[in-house]
Order: sequence, then C-alpha cells, then structure tokens
Amino acid sequence: MNDKQLQNFVSYLIENKHTVYSHTEDDEKIKIKKINSGKNFKLCPKRPLYSFKKFFLPSCQKMMVFKDGNTTLNKSPNVKIVLLGLHFYDLKAFTLINQVYRKDPHFQKKLRNAIVIGQSPIPAELEDYQKFEKEVLEHLKFDIFLEAKSHGKQESFRIFTGSEDGQRLLDDFGYKDYENIEYVGPIPKKGLGPINSMLIEKVKKSRGSKIWKELDKKCTNCGKCSIVCPTCFCFKIEDKIKKDEIVRTREWDSCFYEEFSQIAGGHKFLDTTEKRIYNWYDHKFVRIPEEYTMPGCVSCGRCTEVCPAGIDIRKVLKRIIREN
Amino acid sequence: MKNPYNPIQAEIIKIEKLSSVNKLFTLRIKDEKTRNTFKFRHGQFFILSVPGFGEAPLGFCSSPTIKETFQVSVDKKGTLTSKLFELKKGTNVGIRGPYGNGFDRKKIKSRNLVLIAGGCGLSPLRTIIQDANLHPENFQNIQIFYGCRNSELLVFKKDYDKWSKNIEINLTVDTPDKTWKNSVGVVTNLLTSDKIKKDSVAILVGPPVMYKFVIQKLLELGLDEEDIYVSLERRMHCGIGICQHCALVGGKYVCTNGPVFSYAEIKDTPEGI
Repeated sequence: MNDKQLQNFVSYLIENKHTVYSHTEDDEKIKIKKINSGKNFKLCPKRPLYSFKKFFLPSCQKMMVFKDGNTTLNKSPNVKIVLLGLHFYDLKAFTLINQVYRKDPHFQKKLRNAIVIGQSPIPAELEDYQKFEKEVLEHLKFDIFLEAKSHGKQESFRIFTGSEDGQRLLDDFGYKDYENIEYVGPIPKKGLGPINSMLIEKVKKSRGSKIWKELDKKCTNCGKCSIVCPTCFCFKIEDKIKKDEIVRTREWDSCFYEEFSQIAGGHKFLDTTEKRIYNWYDHKFVRIPEEYTMPGCVSCGRCTEVCPAGIDIRKVLKRIIREN
Repeated sequence: MKNPYNPIQAEIIKIEKLSSVNKLFTLRIKDEKTRNTFKFRHGQFFILSVPGFGEAPLGFCSSPTIKETFQVSVDKKGTLTSKLFELKKGTNVGIRGPYGNGFDRKKIKSRNLVLIAGGCGLSPLRTIIQDANLHPENFQNIQIFYGCRNSELLVFKKDYDKWSKNIEINLTVDTPDKTWKNSVGVVTNLLTSDKIKKDSVAILVGPPVMYKFVIQKLLELGLDEEDIYVSLERRMHCGIGICQHCALVGGKYVCTNGPVFSYAEIKDTPEGI
C-alpha cells in the first residue's frame, strides 16, 4: 500500500461512518486528533504525549445512573471508531490492558466498536520477517498493522491483518494484498524473557534500598507519569450527584495520590512517597509480569518526558540492576 | 457478559445497636431467585452501596448456614457507613459479591480454633461463632479472645451467654468501668501456654497494631506459621483484582487472594502486617 492508497483508505473509513483518530504534529506537540479527511493524511512517526488508552478506558466513565429509585446501567451508543497509527509500544500496552480488562463489559464494548491500526518499521534487531511475525506480531492485538518501508521520499506499507474485522474492512475497501496474522495470545513462547525476569528479582531485592529514599526526596507525587503511562489502569469508583440523578462513575486514579490507600478512619498504608513510588515500580516490574507474563512497562518514555522532578525511568532501572 | 459492578438490591429488614459506634444490619435480597442462589463462606466480604454515597467493602457476620437473610455489623467510620447509620428499616441498599477467599474451609471445621479479635474485628469471626453455636457437631473446640478499649465498645454482648454453652469466651478491656468483672489489658496477655494448645489454628481479626504482638506471642507458644491467619483491611474499589487499591507489594491482592492470609504467606510482605 502506498501513501495515496492509505489516504484513500482513510477517506473510505470516514465515508463509511467511522470516526478516525490519529496523532499529528501541531506546533511541535504531538496530539491525538479526529481526522476529518483522508486527503493529505500522513502517518506521524513520532510519539503522541498521551496514549490511546482513553479510548478504551475513558478518564471518567458512566457506569450506572440512579434516578427516582431506579438503577439504569449505562448504555453508551455504538460509535465505530478507528484508532490509526499506534506504535509498537502502544500496541503492547493495548494488548496488556486488553488482557487485564478481558472480563470487563465496559471495556469490551468499547473494544467491539473499535478498529485498531498499528504502524511501525521493523525494529533493526528483527530484520528477519519470520522472526518478526512469530515473536512480535502474533502476540499483539490489532486489526490492521502497517509495516512502514521507506523508499527515499515515497513511503509504502506492507499490510498485515490481525482480525476478521480488519480483513473485512480491507476487502470492502478493495485492497487484497495483505497477510493475515493469527493472534495466538499475548504471551510469547519464551515467556517473559531474560531481561524482564531479571527485573522482577532486581526490583524485589531493591526494596528499602538507597535509591527509593533518594526518589522519596525527588518525586512530587503529582501523578503525571501515571496519567501519560499507557499501561497505568488503576481506577476508583465514585458516585457523583447531579441535579436530579446520581451517576456511579469509574475514574482514572493514581497510586501517587495520598488517598489511594486510605481506609475509613484515615489510616494510609502507602503513607510515604518512598512507599508510593516503590509500589508503582512494583506494579510495573513485579506484579504485572508475574500476573500476566507480560512486561508492565512498554518503554515508551512518556513518564520521563512529563516528570517535573526529572526522574528518568531508564536511569532508575539501570541503577536498580547495577546496585542489586 | 456479566457486569461485575452491577449491584443487586437488598432490603434492610432489621437494625440493632451493638455499641455506641456499631450497628447490626440484617439484609434480605429482594429478588427471590437471586436470594435462593446467594451463598457465601465464613470470612468472605461483599461490597455494599448506597446511591450518592458510594461503595465500601464489608465483612459478612452471620452464619453462612442461615438462608433468606444475612447480617453485617458496621462501625460508623467513613462516608458510606455514616450514611448507613441514618437509614431506616425497609430501605434498600446495593450489594455485590461475595468476594475473597474466606477462612480455610477445612481447617475451621477439623481443628481447634483460637479466635482473636480486637474492636469490631469480632464481626467477621461471628460467621464461625454463630455457625458453631447453631451446629456444634460440625466444629471442634473453639476459644474466643476478645479485646476492646472499653466494655461499651464490645459487639454482640447479648450473645455471649448463648455462645458460652459450647465456646470459651475470654474478654479484656483497656479501661474498665466499675462493673467490669473480666480481664484488663491487651488481648496478648490472655494468650498463655496453659490456655492455648500448640496444635490450634488461630484466626486474628482486628487493628494492624494488634497483629504484630499477637502473632509474636502465638509463635512463641509454638503455633505453626501456616496455622496463624489474619484478615486484612484495605481500601477497595473493584473487589475483583483490577483497580490496585488493595494490592500488597510483592503481588497479592487483598480482594482476590485475601482478605484472609496465613502468616507464612505474608510475613515477607512489607506493610502486610
């Protein structure tokens, strides 16, 4: 598929009542926006600051409404959306969240109404196509994947499909030159792999060590990292009192906030910054890998970019590996 | 797909005051079919909600063998429980669950039990106590060690005479009034080698500060780490192992892996005890 065909495909999606979102560069900021026309559309190779998680887990979601003594479960309308251009790391995060929320009706409904289209050049270490398909694509959730190939100025894409929905869309559009990849589940045969397994042990061992006491002094508990992180999925359930109804909502929460672990009576279990920041790393590098056999960090680097205290996750991990 | 967040309706059919800060609510699930299939085990919990006041996890406190209704004893502590205290008989509340593992099903019936409670911690243990009082043939020897700040705060006072027919009850308070005839001091003091058999199973429910000292004492008395159980209290929002509020560092969720843990399971978990 070439640039022009991709633009036609985007136009086709819009004409066929899909709301298409992709990230674009605007005034040096990369934002996810609604795409109104396929004309001149170009995939953005850069990383959007906010991830695509909000399309599946909105920052505040209606769960049910109580009115005049009756309870109504929220029935959100079926809006077909297309998320276009997710990079590897965001597809990995999407695959993980999909696993965590596999039995969640609110998430699954959003999933049924969404087409996820990934994009990426093949990473240098996976030049071998077969290896790339076996080790990477088979374990990622997507409907269509555009593997970018550069030929000078002209861009072209090798097309993979990962679902029947993806195939049907391309068939209906009239593009046949795709290869179907059977999703075999999120976990590669080799399991977590040596690096992530090593990280579990190192992070566990680092508990109570100097680095967390240093981070205790640095971290401001602002929670920005958990907002931009594509794998942070914590939530709180709250009732909001509106004019004539009460809405039970599910809202993003952050483990950096003091109330996160507070119980009735006021006791907080995560009562210091040291405990809270360790808990965040414990979730990403111990709990998620052990529970889902998948890494809890997809190496997107967003947390480092937004941290006002200059905490760099790569440097923290390097130190944990070195010192433990 | 089943919606795990959808509460079922239950009616408050009885309210009794157990102490100045605690009330006992008897609940009956409205829908007959749901009521007939609703089952819980000793030591499990559920999530109760009142529209506008949110949800909170609360432990069952009646015997699981009692059908038709179940009970929950609540301390007035947070937003939801304060609202509960205002509600009248006949009001409907939302419930979802049951959740959690509960007490070890085999051990509670096959072994001598030492039940150690502080404050309103006696409530979840009452699932066993009431069952053992109604069906003594299903249980072995049971001893209760129960401590409170003062006698006014003891819950289920009216039941002690009834229970003591087949259960040994030991009470203690920090500050006794003139009429107090039982022990004075912390509950740990009551645990002595002539009272506690080494091969007993101990279950602790109370404030975290109590756990540390009582566990130490029980280990000294020769109980196995696998035979000392605690029920943990944590903030919870989902109850199904996703929202992360009740996560224990190191990988366990109080809602799905607990709330009951053996000391052997969590002794290395920071902040676990």
